[in-house]
Formats: sequence, C-alpha cells, structure tokens
Amino acid sequence: MKTKRHGAVIGLIAAGALLLTACGSDNNAPAGGSAATGTSSTPVECGGKSKLNAEGSTAQKNAIDTFIQAYQQRCPGSDVAYNASGSGAGVKNFNGGQVDFGGSDSPLKADEVTKAAERCQGNPAWHLPLVFGPVAIGYKLEGVTDLVLNGEVTAKIFNGAVKKWNDPAIAALNSGASLPDKDIKVVYRSDESGTTDNFQLYLQAASKGAWTQGAGKQFKGGVGEGKEKSAGVAQAAGSVDGAITYVELSSAQDNKLSMARIDTGSGPVELTTETVGKAIDGATVKGSGNDIVLDLNSIYATTASGAYPLLLATYEIVCSKGYDADTAKAVKAFLTVAATDGQAGLADAGYAPVPKPFQDKLLTAIKAIA
Amino acid sequence: MTTTQTADLNRLATPPTFQSVSTARKIKNGVATALVYLAFLIAVVPLVWVLYTVIQRGFPVILDIDWWQKSLSGLLSRQQGGGVYHAIYGTLVQGLVCGLISVPIGLFVAVYLVEYGGRSKLAKATTFMVDILTGVPSIVAALFIYSLWITTFGFGRSGFAVSLALVLLMVPVIVRTTEEMLKIVPDELREASYALGVPKWKTIVKIVIPTALSGILTGVMLALARVMGETAPVLVLAAYAPFINYNLFDGPMASLPLLMTAERNNPTQAGFERIWGAAITLVLIITLFNLLATVISRWLAPKTK
Repeated sequence: MKTKRHGAVIGLIAAGALLLTACGSDNNAPAGGSAATGTSSTPVECGGKSKLNAEGSTAQKNAIDTFIQAYQQRCPGSDVAYNASGSGAGVKNFNGGQVDFGGSDSPLKADEVTKAAERCQGNPAWHLPLVFGPVAIGYKLEGVTDLVLNGEVTAKIFNGAVKKWNDPAIAALNSGASLPDKDIKVVYRSDESGTTDNFQLYLQAASKGAWTQGAGKQFKGGVGEGKEKSAGVAQAAGSVDGAITYVELSSAQDNKLSMARIDTGSGPVELTTETVGKAIDGATVKGSGNDIVLDLNSIYATTASGAYPLLLATYEIVCSKGYDADTAKAVKAFLTVAATDGQAGLADAGYAPVPKPFQDKLLTAIKAIA
Repeated sequence: MTTTQTADLNRLATPPTFQSVSTARKIKNGVATALVYLAFLIAVVPLVWVLYTVIQRGFPVILDIDWWQKSLSGLLSRQQGGGVYHAIYGTLVQGLVCGLISVPIGLFVAVYLVEYGGRSKLAKATTFMVDILTGVPSIVAALFIYSLWITTFGFGRSGFAVSLALVLLMVPVIVRTTEEMLKIVPDELREASYALGVPKWKTIVKIVIPTALSGILTGVMLALARVMGETAPVLVLAAYAPFINYNLFDGPMASLPLLMTAERNNPTQAGFERIWGAAITLVLIITLFNLLATVISRWLAPKTK
C-alpha cells in the first residue's frame, strides 16, 4: 500500500522531469503569424551572437520589449535579454563588460565616459537616443481630470511652495475648474533614476527660477513620499486621493492616472504622440559625429505651440568599436531593427517614435559600429 | 456521633493520590492551555493564509500546458501567455549543480569531524567555521562570489556563479545534518565491525554511512529545497533572460525567484499572473523535493528485521 503510493510519487516526478527535458520552447509567436508590423525596406544583416545581453533603464523596458519582438520577426532565432535594473546598474554593467549594450536615461558622466572607453578597447562609447519617453505629470484628484499646469507651478508643487490643490497659483491656470481644499501629496522616486534627473532638469529650464534645488538622479524637492521604481510611484499615486507624481507615460497609463496638460506659454498642451514628436523635432544635438547626445534644454524650454516639453530621451550606450565580430553583427542588427521596424510599435507602448531626421542620423551611426 | 462514625467508615484507608485540584492550579492550567493553542494559531494562520493566497492566485495560471513548456521570449510585458520553462530549468540546474559540488564536500567534512577529527584542534576550528558559515546571510555569500568569480577572476555573470554562491549556503547545512546523523550511528556497530578485522575506512563506507544514509539524504534534499528558493544570489550573480538558456556557464539565465523579481516591475495583469504562477511553481517544486526526501528516507531506512 505504502510502496504503491511512493511509486505514484516517483512516477509523477519522472513524468515531470520528462516533460521538462523534452519540450521547452522559446516560440511564443501567435499561431497566425502576425505580419502586422510592416517590415520596412531598410536591409538588416541578421546573424552573429544569437542571444544579446543588455541592461539598464526601467523607463525603456517596454520599448525594448517591442524592439525585441520586431527583431525576432526580422531575424528568427535571435533574442535579447534586457534586464531593467535601472540606468545606474546598466551603465555600471556595460562599463564592467557584463552586458553588450547599456540603456540609460542620461548621457554618461565624464568618469563614466573614460570607463566606457576602457571597456570598448580604447574606443569611445556612443549614445544612441532610440527611445523617447514622454513623462506624464500624473495625479489622482477626485472630481478633477483636466488639470492644467505650467513649469513654474509644477516646480512649486514639487518643492513644497504650493501645498493645497486650491492654491491660487493652480486656480489661475484652471479657471472654471472646482479645485478641492485638499493637501497635495507629492510622490517621488526614492531610487536613483534618470526620470527624476530629467524631470528636475525640466523644472530648472522651464520654471522661470522657481526651482532652485538643482538636478540629479535623486529627487531634491524635499517634500512628499518616496517610492521605488516607476511602477512603485505610479501605484502609490494611483491609490491616494490628492496625490501627484512624475512618471513615464506607460506607467501612468497602466495605473490609470490622470495626466496634467502643460501650458508652455502658448496654451495647454496635452500629452500625445504628435505633441511629443513636435518637441523632438525642435531638439538640437550637442554630441559630435555619431555620438548623438541631445541638448535637452532646447526641448524643455520650448515655447512652440503644440509641443509637449516634458519628455525623456533614453539612450542605448554602445561601443563605437571594440566588440568581437559576432557581437558587433548582432548589436548592429538589433539596433537597426529598433530604429526602423521597432519604432512602429512604440506608440502602443506609451512612447514616441523617433522622427524621420533622427532616424536617418541613428542609422548612419549604427552602420558605423564596427 | 453516629454521623461521624459513618464518615469514618467511608474514609479511604490511604488518601487518594489525586486530590481535588485547587482553583489556582485550574486557572493556571487554563491559561497555559489557552496560550499554547494561541501560539499554535498564530503560527498556523499566516502559513495557511500564504498557501491559500498563492494557490488561489497562481493555480489558474499553471493549468495552461504552455506554462510548463514555453519561455517568455518575445512577449511584451502586458501580453499574456508564454510560460516559465526557462526559469524552471534555471532553478533546477543551478540547484542540482550546487548539490553536486556541495554534497561530497559536506559529506567528507562530516565524516572527518565524526570519525577522524575527535577533539583535535583542526576539528574544533572546522566546527567553528561551519557554525559561522551557517550564519552567513545569502546576500553576503552572493557578494563574496561576485568579488571573487567576477571581479577578481574576470568571468561573466552566469548561472554557474549562482551555483557557487549556493554552495556556500548549502555546505554548512549538509555538514550539520550529516554530522548529527553519523553521531547517532551506535558505536556497537563500529566496534562489531572492527572486531571482525575490517579496516576503519571500510567500516565507514560499508557500515556507518549506509546506516545513516536515509537521514543524510533527507538532509541533502531539504538543503537543496532551501537553496532553490534563494533570491539574493540570483539577483547579484545572474542576469535575467526571458528565453531559454541551456548554457550554465555563459549568458543570462532565468530562475523562478529572479523571474518574480523581474516581473515585479510589471504592473499589468500579465505580470501579476506570472509572479503568482511562478510562486506556486516554486512551491510545487520544493514540495516535490521534500516528498522525494521522505520517500528516499523510507526506502533507505535501516531494516531492523
């Protein structure tokens, strides 16, 4: 009797082991074979290392996922592991040679540039802004869903100068709206984050001097409650009435936050693919040659009508030279797909596709990787 | 007068052993009983609760056959479907390789301590070190391997590095349990063997270890089940990969705890399902190992007849 029971257990384990060793599969493509994402005419040289390893910014995780889908369609059998452990970790592991390319929300700092050059066998690392992520000023306030803010008022909210939702400064921008007499509960990123850095840079550029705390990857406003990662802040802001935070569009959408319209001086601008694209069009590049570092002040301080100024450019950090041949081939293939086919799926994932002039610039740079 | 006499007649010759219990003792007894039951409840409630939550949220997910056969390769974080084959493979292989390294080391150390070491200085030092290793938090073991294997030796992050860190956590557990098992093997068995002229090493191999084998294997299985759920080493030493990586020595490799941590950043329904599905999968795997331990120990238990 007992031996029988044990026999059954052993049988179960054996069956499980058989199942495990026999039929593992990476193939998750829908049965019909989706040709929905139009394959562009840009030629892609597939091949090289079949599994790339990358790490970095959480902000571009969903974008990289869509890139990977496109990459698998163009180059069957290839794959990329992207660990969204933060820009800091991404840059560190890229510089340490642990990953093939890094993802970062901010350009490398001077000492990081030196280390990156060491990692690339003495060749400079390049910044390729492949993913533009609009940052939403997300809030949850009962009865208010069409809030308008500008740089100055936003700065005052996030440094504690404005504490109530019915403060005259907010009311002045929202004539007609009935703002409740509630405390503003600021939620910020407690971990080091490129989103925080970009948000504070935006406040610095657009607040007409109201933001004096400076920028950096740590939040310096000195008010509110800190939460980890984009998902954490969005969840926290979505669960408290009167909360406000800054978070990437995709996280704000996932957690159903209301998003403020931003008045840059020529009327309130809603966050849409078009308004963000318009802002990217106005950006100037400050890197030289194929190293495409953007001058974000040209975006943040924009007064162009219909341009949404608060966005973050996330870079792929790659070696200009110094990969082994296999890795170089795969990195180039992946980035080419990311800059072309991959961009098509970005709008669905809460990002803004790269405008055409940028795309050409990116492709030139990707081609030059050796 | 007569009443007293009747009372005297009814009196027992010797007073009963159990006198009626005083109220104070009854109260103490009641309080103690209540406390014991309360402690039991406090221990059991979270356990049942955790189990219920994991099963309720995870069970529907693991019913899909794809869950056991596919990876998450090429899926967006909000897309449902796919499976955790890649993570199950990683967890099992990392655990088993760790076991392959740890078991011989742990077994030999324990044999030395019980059979040869005695009260020598080396044995005392070894016991002391094993005690310290038992108390090393998993994150410290992980950082140690990171600085040794990756920073100093220059290898990349890999599943094997995770196995190495798990070895540090597993060896002391195996040494401890094996030592206890070898100690309870009766000395009479050893002496009987020596009396027949059997050398010491043969006594250990043929008499002592087989007698203690069921206990040793149970200990190994339990240690294995424990290290498989470790999160810190996989976080530090392996990068997550959504695809199947059969190569333990190179490239990113998933495991169930790592998959859960990676998906925690995913606020969508798909992420929620993957986390709870992975949780129940991990619980199931570890339950299987515990079951296996019981079965093995029954099979190998010394026959007394």
